[in-house]
Amino acid sequence: MIKLEDVSKIYKGDVTALQDASADIAKGEFVFLVGPSGSGKSTMIRLLNKSETPTRGSIYVAGKDIGELSSWKVPFLRRNIGCVFQDFKLLNSRTVYENVAFALEVIGRPKHVIEAQVPAILDLVGLAKKTDNMPHELSGGEQQRVSIARAFVNRPLILLADEPTGNLDPTTSVGIMRLLDRINRTGTTVVMATHDRAIVDTMRRRVIELDRGRIIRDQARGVYE
Amino acid sequence: MAIKLDYVVRETGHSLKRNFTLSLASVLTVAVSLALVGSAFVVRAAVQHSTARWTGDVQFIVFMKPDASAAQISAVRNALDPEKNTQIAKVTFFDKQRAYKEFREVFRDDPVLLSTSRQADMPTSFRVKPAIKNAELINQMGQQLKQAPGVYQVEFAYDTVKQIERVSKLISTVILATALFLLAAAGLLILNSIRMAMFARRREIEVMKLVGATNWFIRVPFMFEGLIQGLIGAVPAAVAVWFLGTRINSSGSTHSSVAILQGLYVSGGEVWTVIIAMIIIGCLVGVVGSAVAVTRFLDV
Repeated sequence: MIKLEDVSKIYKGDVTALQDASADIAKGEFVFLVGPSGSGKSTMIRLLNKSETPTRGSIYVAGKDIGELSSWKVPFLRRNIGCVFQDFKLLNSRTVYENVAFALEVIGRPKHVIEAQVPAILDLVGLAKKTDNMPHELSGGEQQRVSIARAFVNRPLILLADEPTGNLDPTTSVGIMRLLDRINRTGTTVVMATHDRAIVDTMRRRVIELDRGRIIRDQARGVYE
Repeated sequence: MAIKLDYVVRETGHSLKRNFTLSLASVLTVAVSLALVGSAFVVRAAVQHSTARWTGDVQFIVFMKPDASAAQISAVRNALDPEKNTQIAKVTFFDKQRAYKEFREVFRDDPVLLSTSRQADMPTSFRVKPAIKNAELINQMGQQLKQAPGVYQVEFAYDTVKQIERVSKLISTVILATALFLLAAAGLLILNSIRMAMFARRREIEVMKLVGATNWFIRVPFMFEGLIQGLIGAVPAAVAVWFLGTRINSSGSTHSSVAILQGLYVSGGEVWTVIIAMIIIGCLVGVVGSAVAVTRFLDV
């Protein structure tokens, strides 16, 4: 599903964010990217949905070299990749329902599809009773559920999560991880950057460890360290 | 993928409301500049009509009597022939048909006069452009022709006519130049208001990109907003120009004591052409301004 071949990303001023990274992630896998801040986790996430382009190397998503993708096709790539962030990136002037519907609306889904899918996904993430609330009326965990609902409402092949529990307390984090696990069980490939030791150690999934831009460990059913 | 119209309209409406003052500034600048452009063209057209007979350095016109015989006409024609008379540079003959056409244009607001006049009543005339510059000699030449059989009258170009033509040309050029600067300012204002609109919606734009909205889907509401600003600005300008057109025509048809004003008119077709051009220019300024903003500040 995802394949990195000797991918390097060097920012202005010779800042190496990622160096000769290679990895092969199969469909339906759940992968943790771990490592200290600045080790290249977020860069890797951003490279996967073509928010950034690698300085060297190739990235394949669903068998296609995304470096070859012309810029007008990038949106269609992103429709297959859901994204979740530490800071949720919700629209504060819109209700829970509208936030999720927005994701379908802007890719031109018809109204009846939106009306059917949004309540279903909000039910899945456990927010069926909060559809008309504004984001600021929700707890952090609930806001992250909205953002997961938004990322998953279009049933993407891949879900990228960049520190999704970074702003949440341990108990809430467990709930979010259950949700991501459930999404993974539907066949969606999940790539999650984190430095939450407890989560990684409990879940026992594949772990890719980064350090100063290099992959130093790639372990099936791994732990944080 | 089709972009839904109701989506674009809704987003544009929100955005115009949110950026009300800056949008208003853009709209007003478009309105003022387009009103100036339109007025310049309408006034120029009106003055051109009133001085139409005197274009191309025609210094005097020899009107024949309506019942002048062919022999009398050809005698005058001979006397004015540039090949035989070195004092003449150019002469144009207006037959009854051409005279009637001009007559109908000049008195188009006077249905009584129009209905009682026939083509046969029209005098034929020669429009004469002399080769000499000396006003005295030109005057003498005209007076001599007045004595010729079949000649009804000789009419001289007044210096005022020439002056009005010159001044109107100068004024309309100055107005047009001013209007062009204002249009550029309007374009820049629209560019900035669109930029503000994009800044206000930067989070939404970020999310749109993230979930895979196409670049055009993101751009179109902003470009539409620019178009709307240009269009709304063009509307009051169009009304002003239309009003100016009717004013000019009413001043022309009241048989004003100022002779030159009698011929001052613009046709409905001319006014509408100017108005349509203004609306198109307004839309263009809006679209170009917002397109520049979108390509420069929307990193999609």
